[in-house]
Amino acid sequence: MDVIQVILLAVVTFIFAIDQFSLTETLYRPMVACPIIGLCLGDLNTGLVVGGTYELMMVGNMPVGGAQPPNAVLGAVVAMVFAVKSGMGVEAALGSSIIFAVFGQYVVTTVFTIMSGLMSKADKAAEEANPAGITQVTVVSMGLLGALFAVLAILAYTGGTQAAEMLNEVQESASWIMGGLSAAGGMMRFVGFAILMKIMLSSDLWGFFLAGFAMANIISNIEVLANSTMILMAFIGFAIALFDFQVNVNIKNRVGSGTGGTSDGI
Amino acid sequence: MASNVKEAAKYTDLTPAAPLSKADLNKMTWRSLQLQSAFNYERMQAAGWLWGILPGLEKIHTNKEDLAISMSHNMDFFNTHPYLVTFVMGIVLSLEQQKADIATIRSVRVAAMGPLGGIGDALFWYTFMPIVAGITATMAIDGSLVGPILYFVIAFGVQMVLRFWLMSWSYKLGSNAIGILTKNAKEFTRSASILGVFIIGAMVVTFGGTTTRIWIPNGDNPINLQGQLDTIFPKMLPFAITMLCYWLIKKKNFTPVKVILVLLVIGIVGAIFGVWAGDYTPLVDWYTVPAA
Repeated sequence: MDVIQVILLAVVTFIFAIDQFSLTETLYRPMVACPIIGLCLGDLNTGLVVGGTYELMMVGNMPVGGAQPPNAVLGAVVAMVFAVKSGMGVEAALGSSIIFAVFGQYVVTTVFTIMSGLMSKADKAAEEANPAGITQVTVVSMGLLGALFAVLAILAYTGGTQAAEMLNEVQESASWIMGGLSAAGGMMRFVGFAILMKIMLSSDLWGFFLAGFAMANIISNIEVLANSTMILMAFIGFAIALFDFQVNVNIKNRVGSGTGGTSDGI
Repeated sequence: MASNVKEAAKYTDLTPAAPLSKADLNKMTWRSLQLQSAFNYERMQAAGWLWGILPGLEKIHTNKEDLAISMSHNMDFFNTHPYLVTFVMGIVLSLEQQKADIATIRSVRVAAMGPLGGIGDALFWYTFMPIVAGITATMAIDGSLVGPILYFVIAFGVQMVLRFWLMSWSYKLGSNAIGILTKNAKEFTRSASILGVFIIGAMVVTFGGTTTRIWIPNGDNPINLQGQLDTIFPKMLPFAITMLCYWLIKKKNFTPVKVILVLLVIGIVGAIFGVWAGDYTPLVDWYTVPAA
């Protein structure tokens, strides 16, 4: 085992883990990450081949709408370790790395859940007008994500294919925990909505909330429109809001000028 | 001070601040790269969003109470496309600079962030990047270092150009529009709230993925519970859970953290009995999923 390689691998994995959501959002893509990992492990050429192959596999596979696909960062790191260190072929290395990619997805789900709890810290910093507190929250979050990923990368490097088998067993026996955590994670955004509703939804606006829900339901269930749901909703919502604005301004101006529709003589 | 910060309707100092300089806007554009640094399931990008516009807010709100008010309402739920976020930043900053009503800023923010998510992914990740990846990946597989370098330069370059351009354009847009709006501030706030509330209703649908996988045992014809719920109306579970959260927060005065704990329990207990959809094996196996 080469200590320098392990350290380099842990450092770049730490960076990629953060990069997949922040920073450049490009560096972590297998296309760029694999050659860099290749340099760390002393085999640039394998990095290029694995990176290109993985990137083509990944086209269109993006974390969209909060759903997490098997994690590309750990997939790339571990596929590289297996290809360079265990001398596997490119396809075999990619295949064996999948269980790590699944665990990467678990780590992301867990971190996103834990970080929901940190929001109260951010709220407190906001109420105290304390910018440093907000910085702390973001730094803690990035550090946690990076550190957990780095640990899994080291595990792959030192444990090799045996580690993959071990992870497989853990996944089978405890899948309900992750299933429950994912389900709960998917529900937590409703808390964010509820907070917004508490503040914005005065009692005379309930109809617009229900209309938004109903209209989005209709549009998103029409297959050709499903992807454009939000932009179409914005158009409709804009029309309603504009109409309301014009009507109310009109009313105000007439009341203000004291001539409110006098032509009919009432 | 802390108690009325969250409920404030207006800033205490209503004199418009000096316009933000190009350098300030550029600084916040760079910071916008950290939008998702504290991503979580409850507020999503909120903390990263606030961190991004903080330099501007600190310039605009020179007294501490106003800064607290502003930071607090900018910790609301936030989610948009990372590459397009500077568009929302520019507009919100122009409203902050003019000291618009809190309700107005809040509503405009929600109305602007919602629709951008879908556009960004459709244009960038499903149209543009697959083409770039197709070309550069072939170069890499042939052993050329130009492949990954080109990929990085194009992907990162395009997004940065977009971020800078959107920031300056939308800041100008917001500053120009504000004169007309302040004349009818009350009416504008109301219509902006309508748009915001309308979009939140839509987000319950587009972000709400909660479904059940239960098959109710019924002899040879087990009943698919989700199918039954869909016949009442689709997205019924996301709607119901949103209402539950709203009720707990509004009527029962639960803190968000407490609601999250409730949801964690619902999620995990549900998974033990195989209530929620997902790729896992429930602990208690009380129904069988019919073979497709």
